[in-house]
Amino acid sequence: MASSAALPATYPTRRASGLRRVGYVVRGSEEGLWRWSARIASLIPVVGLVFVLTVLAVKAWPAIKVNGPGFLSRSTWNPGSTYGAAVRTNGVLHPVGASYGAWPLIAGTLQTSAIALLVALPISLGTAFALTERLPRWLSRPISFFVEILAGIPSVIIGLWGVLTLGPLLANHVYPFFANNIPNVPVLRYFKGSVGYGEGLLTSGLVLGLMIVPIIASTARDLFMQVPPLPKEGAEALGMTEAEVARRVTIPWVRSGLIGATVLGLGRALGETIAVAMVSGSVLGTVSPNIYGTMTTIAATIVSQLDSAATDGTGFAVATLAEVGLVLAVISVVVNVVARVIVNRTSRHLAPVGRG
Amino acid sequence: MATMIDGYPSTRPRRVREFFFKGMSLAALIFVVGPSVWLIADVVVRAVPHWQWSVLTTTPVGVGGGLENAILGTLVIMVGVLIIAGSIGVLTGIHFAELQRPRRSGKAGGNFLRTSTEVLAGFPSIVLGYVGYVALCVGLHWGFSLLPALIVLSIMVTPYIAKSTESALRQVPTNYREGAEALGMATGYALRKVVIKSALPGIVTGLLIALAIAVGETAPLLYTAGITNSLPTTSLIHQPIAYLTYYVWTDYNQPIKATQYLSFDAALILIVLVLVLLVSSRLLVNRTQRYVEGPR
Amino acid sequence: MKNLLRSLTAIALATSGLLVAVALPASATTKTKIVTCFRLEKNVVHTAKFHGSCRAGWSKKRPKPAPVADDSVETPGTASLTETGSTLLYPLWNIWAPAYQSEFPQVSVTTGSTGSGTGIADAASGTVNIGSSDAYLSSTQLTSTPNLLNIPLAISYQMIEYNIPGVTAHLKLNGTIVSQIYQGQITNWNDSAIAALNPGVNLPNLKIVALHRSDGSGDTFIFSQYLTDSDPTWSSKYSYGTTISWPTISNALGENGNGGMVSGCAATAGCIAYVGISYLTSVLGDGQTYAQLENGNGQYELPTPATASAEAAGFTAKTPANGTISMVDGKVSGGYPIVNYEYAIVNKAQSSSTTAKAIRSLLEWAIDPSYGQSSQYLGQVRFDPLPVKIVTQSYKQIKEIQ
Repeated sequence: MASSAALPATYPTRRASGLRRVGYVVRGSEEGLWRWSARIASLIPVVGLVFVLTVLAVKAWPAIKVNGPGFLSRSTWNPGSTYGAAVRTNGVLHPVGASYGAWPLIAGTLQTSAIALLVALPISLGTAFALTERLPRWLSRPISFFVEILAGIPSVIIGLWGVLTLGPLLANHVYPFFANNIPNVPVLRYFKGSVGYGEGLLTSGLVLGLMIVPIIASTARDLFMQVPPLPKEGAEALGMTEAEVARRVTIPWVRSGLIGATVLGLGRALGETIAVAMVSGSVLGTVSPNIYGTMTTIAATIVSQLDSAATDGTGFAVATLAEVGLVLAVISVVVNVVARVIVNRTSRHLAPVGRG
Repeated sequence: MATMIDGYPSTRPRRVREFFFKGMSLAALIFVVGPSVWLIADVVVRAVPHWQWSVLTTTPVGVGGGLENAILGTLVIMVGVLIIAGSIGVLTGIHFAELQRPRRSGKAGGNFLRTSTEVLAGFPSIVLGYVGYVALCVGLHWGFSLLPALIVLSIMVTPYIAKSTESALRQVPTNYREGAEALGMATGYALRKVVIKSALPGIVTGLLIALAIAVGETAPLLYTAGITNSLPTTSLIHQPIAYLTYYVWTDYNQPIKATQYLSFDAALILIVLVLVLLVSSRLLVNRTQRYVEGPR
Repeated sequence: MKNLLRSLTAIALATSGLLVAVALPASATTKTKIVTCFRLEKNVVHTAKFHGSCRAGWSKKRPKPAPVADDSVETPGTASLTETGSTLLYPLWNIWAPAYQSEFPQVSVTTGSTGSGTGIADAASGTVNIGSSDAYLSSTQLTSTPNLLNIPLAISYQMIEYNIPGVTAHLKLNGTIVSQIYQGQITNWNDSAIAALNPGVNLPNLKIVALHRSDGSGDTFIFSQYLTDSDPTWSSKYSYGTTISWPTISNALGENGNGGMVSGCAATAGCIAYVGISYLTSVLGDGQTYAQLENGNGQYELPTPATASAEAAGFTAKTPANGTISMVDGKVSGGYPIVNYEYAIVNKAQSSSTTAKAIRSLLEWAIDPSYGQSSQYLGQVRFDPLPVKIVTQSYKQIKEIQ
C-alpha cells in the first residue's frame, strides 16, 4: 500500500475544508502509527530475552570464574562454611570449602525429560489419531477440550496432585510390583530397589509427561487434520488397514512437524519448575541410584535453593545458582530454536494451546 | 501384502496390528481424559469438605483465615497482564502477520524476530523470576511489588498472544484485504476496520489462554510479588501483593490443618478461574468457526 | 448440542452468582457481640473473649502491670509491615501479630514462613521489614550488610522426633549417635548403639530415614551446631550453618520448612527429623514422638520449658549486647542441649521513619513482659520468655532502628 495514501483517487478532488482535512491527515498518519507501534512492540520480546540472558551472564560470572569447566561434571553441592571465614579464588570472594557441581542436576533434568518424552509421545500420538480419525466430530470436540484443560491447569496444582495423591498411590501399589518382580539382571537392576514414598525420578517423569502431552497432542492433531484426504483414501483403496495408513501415509507426511512438536515438548519439560520441585524429593549432590529414588532438576534446585543461597554473605551461592540458571537458559534456547526451525519449515497454522 | 478380503485384513499379523492401533489410540484418550478429571476431582474432594464461604471475604489471620487478598491480587495481576502483555502481544502479532515486508524469496519476513519471540515462549519461568528479582526488586530497589511481577509475567506470556494473534490474522481471508484495498483504504485503516474486527474472536481466545497461563504461574511471582495479608493497593512498587498460587505452593504440606485447607481452597479457586477462562475461549472458538471460511 | 452447552453454562453461572450474592452477606454478619476482656494475674496480663459482657474478675479496661524493665511500647502511625523467615518462630508470629494488631490496628503485619535463610536475606536486601531467624548473623553477612541487627525475641529449643510404629517411649539419644545416623553409619533402628542406650525399648528392624531441611534454616543451624559440638568427624567434614552440605546417604529426604519435616516424617515410617518445639502438637497429633538428649553432663533431658530455661540461664550473663551467642550444648546441669534465641533480623536504617517507628513498636511489644512475653502467647508454643537482662539489651538494640 502507498505510504501516505491520504487522498486516494476515489475521493473528491476539490480541496477539503478544515476538519475533514485533519481527518485525512490523521488517517494517513494512522498508517504510520500502526507500523511504528507494531515494529516497536515486536522488538520488546527480543529485548527482554537479550536482557535476561545478559543479567544471568553478569550475575553468574563470578561463579564461572571460580567453579571452572569442571562445574558441569562435579557432583558436590557444598555451600562451604558460611559461618567461617571467606576466602578469595581468582579474585572472587566465597566461603571456605565451597564447592559446587551441576552434574546431578543436569542428569536429573535429562532423565526426567527422557521419561516424560517416552511417556508423552505414545499418548499424544494416540490421542491425536483418536481425535482426528476415530471419533465422530461431535465427540472429538468436547474431548479435545480435555486436552486444553490439561494444558491450562496450573503446574502447582498438578504438582499438588502428584505429591499428595499420585505419588503415594504409585509407591504403595504400582512400584513394589515392578521392583519385586523384575529379574535381578544388570540393566534391569535399575528398576529394583527401594521404592521410596512417592517422590522421586519416575514419579517426576510421569507427571512431566502428563504436562507435555497437550503440547504434542494439539500440534499433532492440527497436523493430522492438514494431511490431504486423497493419499489416505488412495491407500485405503489399495487395501491398507488404518494402522498401515497411519504408519505409511500420515506420519511421514507430517514427520518434521511432529519432530518439531516433540522438541517443543522437550523444551517445556526441561524448564518445568514447580511441579518437579514438589514431586522430586529435592536431594542435592547425588544421582539417583534407581529409577524410584529422589533427585532434583536444575529448575527445581533453583527454586528450592534460592532462599538459602541468599544467606551466603559473600554472594557466591547466588552466583552459582545464576550459573546453573544460565546453563538451563542456554539449553532451553538451543532446544527451542531447533524446534521452531523444524516446525516453521513445515506447518503454517498452529493453535496456541499450552506452554509449547 | 496389502490386500483386504471384504474389508478385513487378510493376514493375522496385520489384524493384530490393526487391533492394537485402534485400541491404543482409544486407550491414549483415557490417559488424557482420566488424569484431567482425576486432578480436578482430587482438588474438589480435598477442598469442598472444609470449604467456607468466608474464605472469599476474609484475609489470612494467624494460621487460617481466608483468601480474599489472594483472589483480588490474582485478579489485579490478570488485569495488569492483560493490559501490558495484551497490547504488546497483539501489536507484535499484527507486525508479524501484516506489516512485515516480505522477503524476496516470497516467504514471510522477520524470521529472527519471530524465532526469538517463540524461544521466549519455552523459557524456564524460574529463571525469569530470578532475573526479575535481581534486576527489578533488588537492582532498582522496587522491592516485592506489583510492577516487577507484571513485567516478568508479561515477558512470559507475550509470545503466546503474539502467536495466536498472528494465527488469527492469517486466517482472515485475503478477499477481505483485497476488497479493502480496492476501496482505497490505507493499510492501518483497513486493519482497524476490517481485518482485526474479523480476527477479533481468535485474538480474544489467545488473550484468554494467555491469562490462564499467567494466573497459574508460581515461580516467577515468588520472587517478584512477595506476599502480603492485606488487599491489593494502588501502589505499583514497594508494596507486595498476594496471589493464589503462593498458598497452594507454601501450605500444601503444613501439619496445621487450617493452613493446609487454605492451600486446597486456593487450588479450588484457581481451577474454577482457569476453567472459566478456558470455557469462554472455547465458546468463542466455536462461534468463530461457524462464520470463517477456509480450512480449519 | 452447542446451544445446550451454552444454555447450561449460562444457567450454571447465574446460579453460582445468585448463591454468592446470597451467601456473602450471610457470612459477613455476626450474631452476638464479642468483647475482649483483660485480667491481671502475677503481673502478667491475660486476655479472653466473651459473648456480650465480661465475666466476673475480668474487665474491659486493660490493666497496667508493674513495670519490670524501663521499656515502653511506642505508638506507631499507619504502616504495613512484612515479616518472614524462621518456620520455628512462625507459629508465634501468627499469635503475636493478631494480638498486636488488636492493640494497634493502624499497623498491618504480614507473617511468612520461608526459612531463616530467607529471613536474613530478605531483611538484608530490604524486601522485608523484619526477618526471623533461629541463627545469628555470620561475619560475612555482617560485612556485606553492616547495618543488620539480630535482636533476641524469645528462647526456643528443638526436638529430635521420630516415627517408629510401635515405639511410644522417649528414646535416649546423644549427639554422636545422631551424627552417625545422619552420616549413614547407623542405618537401622535396632542398631546396637541405640539399643545400648535404651535397654527397655523394643526397637524394630526398621531402616532409618534421615530427614533434613532443604531450605536455608535456623533449625539446621542449631542442629548442625549440636552435631559439631558432639562429634569431631562432623565438625571437620560438615560443620554448621543455615545451609550445609549434607552427607550423601541412601536414606535421606529433604523437606521444606518445619511443617514439611513434620508431615514428611508422618508419611515416612522409620524417619528421624529435627523440628522446632513450636510444632509439638502437630508431631504428637500425627502419632510421632520425640527423644531425650544427652546434655554433656551424662543427663538425658526431655525438651521442656524448664530444661530449656535451665540451659539458657547458663548463658544469660555471657550474652553480648548484640545478642550473638550460641546456646547449643552448653553442658549446663539439668539443661536441654539444643536451645537458641529467636532473633529478629532488622536493618538499622529503614526507608522511612514511620516504618522504623512501627517496627520498633512491634518489637518492643514482643519483648515486653506484659505483652509479647506473657505466657498466654509463649505458652502456646512452649517457648521461654527472655530474662530481664536480655530484655534490656534487646530494647537497646531496637532503639537503634531509625
